[in-house]
Amino acid sequence: MRAEVATPKDAPLPRKSSWKRTALIWLSRYGTIVGLLLMVVFFSINAPGIFLSRANFLNILSQASLTAIIASGLTYTLVVGEFDLSIGYVASFVGLIVTGLMAYEGLPIWLSIACALLLGAGIGVLNGLLVTKVRINAVISTLGIGTMLTGIGFTYSAFPIATGIPRAFTDISLGRLVFGLPNPVIIMVVVLVALWVILNKTDIGQKMQAVGSNLEASRLSGIRVDRIKIFAFATAGFCAALTGTLLSSLLGSGTLAAADGYLLDAFAAVFLGSATLREGEFHISGTLIGVLILAVGFNGLSIFGAPTHFQPIFKGGILVLAVGMSALARRYAATA
Amino acid sequence: MRIRGLTKSFAGELALDHADLDIERGKVHGLVGANGAGKSTLIRCLAGVTVPDAGSVAIAGEELQRGSPQASERAGLAFIHQELNLIPHFNALQNMLLGAPKATRFGMIDWQRSGVAARAAAERVGIRFPLDARVSDLSVAERWLVMIGKALTRDASMIAMDEPTASLSEPESEQLFAIIRDLSAQGVAILYVSHRLEEVLRLCDRITVLRDGRVVGEAERGALNKKGLVRAIIGHDVRTPDASTRFAADRSKRPIFSARDIAWKSAVKGVSLDLYRGEVLALGGLIGAGRTELAHLIAGVTRPDAGRFELDGKPLEIADEAGAVRAGIALVPEERRSQGLMLQQSVGFNINISTLKKLRSIPGLPFVSDRKARHQAEALVADLGIKTPGVAAKIAGLSGGNQQKALIARWLNAGTKLLILDEPSRGVDIGAREEIHDAIRTLARSGVGILVISSDVEELALLADRVLVMREGRVTGELTGADITEARIIELSYQDANDEEGDDA
Repeated sequence: MRAEVATPKDAPLPRKSSWKRTALIWLSRYGTIVGLLLMVVFFSINAPGIFLSRANFLNILSQASLTAIIASGLTYTLVVGEFDLSIGYVASFVGLIVTGLMAYEGLPIWLSIACALLLGAGIGVLNGLLVTKVRINAVISTLGIGTMLTGIGFTYSAFPIATGIPRAFTDISLGRLVFGLPNPVIIMVVVLVALWVILNKTDIGQKMQAVGSNLEASRLSGIRVDRIKIFAFATAGFCAALTGTLLSSLLGSGTLAAADGYLLDAFAAVFLGSATLREGEFHISGTLIGVLILAVGFNGLSIFGAPTHFQPIFKGGILVLAVGMSALARRYAATA
Repeated sequence: MRIRGLTKSFAGELALDHADLDIERGKVHGLVGANGAGKSTLIRCLAGVTVPDAGSVAIAGEELQRGSPQASERAGLAFIHQELNLIPHFNALQNMLLGAPKATRFGMIDWQRSGVAARAAAERVGIRFPLDARVSDLSVAERWLVMIGKALTRDASMIAMDEPTASLSEPESEQLFAIIRDLSAQGVAILYVSHRLEEVLRLCDRITVLRDGRVVGEAERGALNKKGLVRAIIGHDVRTPDASTRFAADRSKRPIFSARDIAWKSAVKGVSLDLYRGEVLALGGLIGAGRTELAHLIAGVTRPDAGRFELDGKPLEIADEAGAVRAGIALVPEERRSQGLMLQQSVGFNINISTLKKLRSIPGLPFVSDRKARHQAEALVADLGIKTPGVAAKIAGLSGGNQQKALIARWLNAGTKLLILDEPSRGVDIGAREEIHDAIRTLARSGVGILVISSDVEELALLADRVLVMREGRVTGELTGADITEARIIELSYQDANDEEGDDA
């Protein structure tokens, strides 16, 4: 964790308005974590047998892992002050292509996956070039690219690719190689640690944070701003491709639009995360907390037998709430 | 207006400490003080943007509702901040009527009828440009007129102005002063906040000095001279410029940096200059003389249409900002907040951002060593006397002067050969300005090329070893040694370029 920013030296004056302020600041920093803990406690008390079990926790973690990977890639684009609306479509598209490479083109598994991940990163680079060199607004360009990918995917295979996928590919997501944890969880941990280290401990990470803080100042500091942004987009594309690949492995098929829904989950998670610990800044550990909130929430909903259409209500609600909290946190940071 | 016992604290620190102030109709009231003395907080309290912890404000005997911008506006208070709150792509009239009730016709705004009051106001402030001109096409001075017109449109009885002349040229400032005197003659109270003490002394009927949130001095016009005012603000005397301390560089040696016939659009028309080792070279002149544009050309922000640069005798090709930085040319920009600082980041982050490569744990691997980063930042903080709770503190919490020092610190370990400082002490208090000047001088003597741009002639006279005056994109004069006086700089700034005998330094 980056050295925590110094808090005001003196204790706040014992005045009512200050108390309220302090409470609000505290809530905007730790509110998400408290919310997560409250959910866990609530479900544990009300559904002890089902919720509070090793199997269920592993289930939650597995579900969270795919979202966490794609969301941490998205975190990078938000850190540099951009947006990527293509990630869900990239995940779907790559998930389809990776199965196609194995089933139709007969490529070995490792090569198919390598191609898939490179493809994702390549789409990210394309997004980055459109945003930095052509200067198309990121919302528009990534939405455009994403929509095109849907069409291209349809052209490639209008039907789900389910036959001819090697067993070993589906085993990737079903296996438990380390500590009896599902492989996607392990992959998530590796990706998150790597992204966290890059963001917080390397030149490029510091430069990404600088670019997100003040583009003009970064330029004048000698940072090659365009490269940094393209790197962020490429990372987002790579992570989306990884999530898409894992999803196909989990489903045992390549299906059109299978991962589109991850876009919203990722945004909800990242914005929840930005309202965690730091005032409205995007960061990897926050994103993980955001993902866990979503996963525990979904899990709870299904345990209590909530109808499936509750899920989008929950998801959309969380997204709005998260963005709201993030904005509030930033406002308090600005007036502090 | 009577202000009594106004108090406000942020995070346990008093920004305003029982401030009392009386502002009378028809008077120009000056408010001065170092950065962080509480001027802005006072104004924000009046404007209703900040809620004071204690104290009262009464206007014509009537208590002002706290923390309500609407109530402040109804009470006839108008505020013009340094960053003018204008909408660039609206025209002047639209901006003046922004937020004011407008006459409508069939539900559509009737600009003709709505504009009556605004036009009258425009007349009063002497607006000569058409009111349907887009604000983005207006000069800074003209924008000020729009803001004042906007205040008058609402029948403001008091107008607070924050650093109005910071980005105005000399004649523009004079024009503004005339308008201010006019307004006060018409019974409008003016609260005038400025770091430029001469202005305040000349313009204001009454001056209040704030220090550390407290009112430490009040004086009627004439009761105080500049020295006294400075003493009241910082608590001690300030040095006067001394020509004998000016450094005369050895100009027979090869210059550190030279520019030849640099041209860019219509802003820079064939500028040549040489910068020698050890000297502080300054560019004087009016706003719009092409100085900032020249700085941008040298620092790679824009590319010249013609001309060439040389650094250490070697021809220099700069593709962009990053290229300039790699070559050893750095710019400390004029807009500190928008172009210099990464406000949400720490002091250390802001200082280290241009030297990350040097701070790697293991050379060749891209990992930044937290320890090296902290050490470098702490050393530079100590060197420049940056006042901060620590290098991990957010830079947003520092005063303008200390933020500026951090921006200078950014370049001290970066292998900088030429450091360009654009308006290095804008919005910085006198004490900090002196320290910044010392730092700049030390850097110059240590062999870093220093090019300072300043519109503050006093600053030029205090700091520069040699002054080049620019006017309309050309260098129109050069001053050295004892010739560097405020009067001479101003004279040259206004001199018509055609009259000059082509002394292109």
